Amino acid sequence: MKTTLKLFSLLFIFTAFVSCSDDDGDSASEFVITEVSPTSATVGAEIVITGTDFPTDTSDISLTFNGVEATIVSATSTQIVATIPSGATTGELVLVANGYTKSYPTDFTVLSDLISETVSNLEAPQTGGQGEAVGGPFTKFSFESGAVTDSDTDWDIAFRGTTIAVNGGTATGTEDEPVRNGDAGVSIESGVFSDITSAEGLTFAQDSEGAFAIATGSDNGWYNYNSATYTITPIPGKILVFRTHDGKYAKVEIISYYRDAPAEPDPFTDESRVYTFNYTYNPNEGDTALE
Amino acid sequence: MNLNKVVLSFLFVCATVGFAQKPETNKDSVFVQNLDEVIVTATRTIRQMSSLPLPVTLINKKQLQQTGVTRLDQILREQTGVILTPDATTGGGEGVQMQGIASDYILVLIDGVPVVGRSSGNLDLSRFAIGNVKQIEVVRGPSSSLFGSEALGGVINIITEKPTKEIFSGEVSHRTATFNNQNTNISLSQRAKNFGYSIFVDRLSTDGYDLTPDEEGQTVDPFFNYTFNGRVYYDLDDKWKFFASGRYFFQEFDVASGASEEKDANAQLKIDHKVSDKSNFQYELYYTNYITDENSIDVDSGELLLENDFNQKLLRPEIRYNLTFKENKTLTIGGGYNFEVLTRSLFSDKVTFDSQYLYAQYDFKPLETLNVIVGARFDHHSEYNSQLSPKISAKYDITPSFAIKGSVGSGFKAPDFRQLYLDFTNAVGGGYSVFGKEVEEEGIQRLQDNGEIANLQVSPDELGERLDAESSIGYNLGFVYKKGKLSSELNFFRNDFKNLIDTRILASKTNGQNVFGYINRESVYTQGLEVDIKYMPFPNFDLSAGYQLLYAYDKDKEADIENGDVYARDPETLQTVSLSKSDYFGLENRSRHTINFKIFKEIPAWNANANLRVVYRSKFGMADRNGNDILDTFDNSFVDGYALVNLTFAKTFYRNFQLQVGATNLFDYKGSNPLAASGTEVLINPGRQLFTKLNIKF
Repeated sequence: MKTTLKLFSLLFIFTAFVSCSDDDGDSASEFVITEVSPTSATVGAEIVITGTDFPTDTSDISLTFNGVEATIVSATSTQIVATIPSGATTGELVLVANGYTKSYPTDFTVLSDLISETVSNLEAPQTGGQGEAVGGPFTKFSFESGAVTDSDTDWDIAFRGTTIAVNGGTATGTEDEPVRNGDAGVSIESGVFSDITSAEGLTFAQDSEGAFAIATGSDNGWYNYNSATYTITPIPGKILVFRTHDGKYAKVEIISYYRDAPAEPDPFTDESRVYTFNYTYNPNEGDTALE
Repeated sequence: MNLNKVVLSFLFVCATVGFAQKPETNKDSVFVQNLDEVIVTATRTIRQMSSLPLPVTLINKKQLQQTGVTRLDQILREQTGVILTPDATTGGGEGVQMQGIASDYILVLIDGVPVVGRSSGNLDLSRFAIGNVKQIEVVRGPSSSLFGSEALGGVINIITEKPTKEIFSGEVSHRTATFNNQNTNISLSQRAKNFGYSIFVDRLSTDGYDLTPDEEGQTVDPFFNYTFNGRVYYDLDDKWKFFASGRYFFQEFDVASGASEEKDANAQLKIDHKVSDKSNFQYELYYTNYITDENSIDVDSGELLLENDFNQKLLRPEIRYNLTFKENKTLTIGGGYNFEVLTRSLFSDKVTFDSQYLYAQYDFKPLETLNVIVGARFDHHSEYNSQLSPKISAKYDITPSFAIKGSVGSGFKAPDFRQLYLDFTNAVGGGYSVFGKEVEEEGIQRLQDNGEIANLQVSPDELGERLDAESSIGYNLGFVYKKGKLSSELNFFRNDFKNLIDTRILASKTNGQNVFGYINRESVYTQGLEVDIKYMPFPNFDLSAGYQLLYAYDKDKEADIENGDVYARDPETLQTVSLSKSDYFGLENRSRHTINFKIFKEIPAWNANANLRVVYRSKFGMADRNGNDILDTFDNSFVDGYALVNLTFAKTFYRNFQLQVGATNLFDYKGSNPLAASGTEVLINPGRQLFTKLNIKF
């Protein structure tokens, strides 16, 4: 009996100790995730998880994106801020804390990074002009590959002289134009390149019979022709926002129409019909972000 | 050329000219006005210049003679608030600018009647020989209340000399200058009792000059011109006075291929009818015809490349009535009718304009020290909306030597023939088209029928809507101080323009080019101040200095910049940046500062005189180059400030022989035009021009 009592006392004390140590790691209550925002983002972006009963010590939290451990930036009992780790891929978002393991009901989408590049010296020759009928093949460009393409289908925009066609809409009727088989379109926006942050809410025009979506002629579309200096220069503040042939988005600022983008092109010595442009391409399906 | 150099040289000349001073009294001065110097342009009545409530400049005979100039542009460019600016295109003419207002908006008169014949809005002032001119009157600020269309920026009136001597008298002079510039003129006149006549013949020829040494052809081709002017004065009695004048100008350019001719004829008949001491009528009939014939021919094939013929005629009867009731109260009423006809090869049809106008002006003195002039003019026109142009001005003498003057007036400019009737497709330049307002609807229709229109960029309802006249309101507030040998004037000005006519794209064509039309769109302002100081420190020694401060901006563009809607491309990265207000330089071809400085010195003991005139204009921009439609700091189109120094020496021999030698642009400023393509050189100025002039009076 005495031994039994001692054992019970020991057990009590042990239990009490164990309980105490449990208390040290906050209460053992079950946390709840109410929202993850956003549910898609690129590597390095911060996401915010809101809910209740989160541990407040970041080292007590384990968060994984499809199995890849994330760095917790801050934590309160109702909000965890974390950055998406490199190597993360789209999949389950799993939070482990207080001995509980929970995965968010919807998969977290890890977006591909926006691609910002400069295309230099894209040649866009044409035949004719100066009153003669304009002809010759267009130079097709794909944002996905970031390069000129010969593909009849996987192109987004195409250049010939000052004319830019989109792979969407119908034939305009000009000689030698490529067949449009995608859903590309363009919206010409005003602003500084970095200020155009999204394609959300824009209306995209497509080529149609007799008219390119990017209107031809000086001061109509993307360029000005200066009759005093005989130069073609992009209209400042015109940012071309494209929907690609497969429904993604890109923005373009044309930098120059002359080889090697001279600051002061000389129409008599600098080769023209050679484009240099900056673009930002969002490779993620359905994502309109451009910055 | 820096200003220090100019000032140093100037002081040197002062010293050399100044040593031979003698205390002799001078009867009149080049600048400081005589009490009897009068001006007619400001009020259309004879008014003593110093009493006028408006900013006016008078260039008297003495200044014209002593500077040795022979054409109107040469003397105007030395006056405060008057700038001659090159046309936007290289090799184009020069236009006069006053208070920041371009040449299109400045009316030029000869003996009170307007000259016509503008090329792209510019009137070539070198067309006007000034050998027989008594004085040139310049009224700054809008004067449409008296003169109607075009008098927005001001009015320049060339007043010819009346014969005064009973005996047959005249002058022959020949001026020879750089670029083989040979200018001969003869003027003869006689007055016998109630009859007088004068004859003036002027011939100018030159080899022209070249501002583009790297390019083929000359900027100004060799040309010659003749001016003939005959005037007859007949006073029937005290009541009826008759004046008739005929002027004919002919100019021909020696172009490499093709031809370029210009003819300008004016005939004026004026009858003064003095009804009583208090009232008089003036009946005036004026006819002018301006013709240019230009064509360029392909040297190899002999094919006609471009034919541009222009023939404008204006017939204008006008009646004026002046009634002076009591002292210092004058009512002026006038009315007239303009018949205008134009044929031009770029217009589809012959074009006719009709307009009628009435004006009235009341000039009175409610107080001994206060003069008020109120006036208004109504112009009714067959092709555009009618215009009412009121004006009020006043001068208050605070002390006999200090006065304040102010005026508010409106001005307008009728849409010109080009803006109404041009029907032009440039086959050589790639196939763009331009339509005047009156023909744009049918022009677009024609192109649509031919399947040449890709898409219309304006609403079809807007096509053919009437243009309004361009109009302005000008405000001037001036302070005049005159005492002894000092005369000074400070004038603040502001001009608000609206409905300025601009081109816009009406449609794009299937060939990738555009169709342009005209629209009332722009509103701009010019403001600043003018200072004019004239001082005669010693007898026979005249000094004058003038300064203009100018701000000229487009109001809409300013608002766009405020909203962050104006962009430019960074010259390094070529990427778009947003412009701030400080990046906006203002309107093209406007200098913030212009300065002139003149010394006239007479040495009676030697029968000689000398003068030095310096004209400076600060940095200005020539054109937008980066496609944002404004002149901004990123545009590489600025010309740095420069000064031109002009110098003339004269000596009279045997009473009637005068020899002048001088230099225009003494320090050979040439400048370089930033618009030139790289690797080529385009100048701003052809450089130093030396001249010698011999004048013989008989």
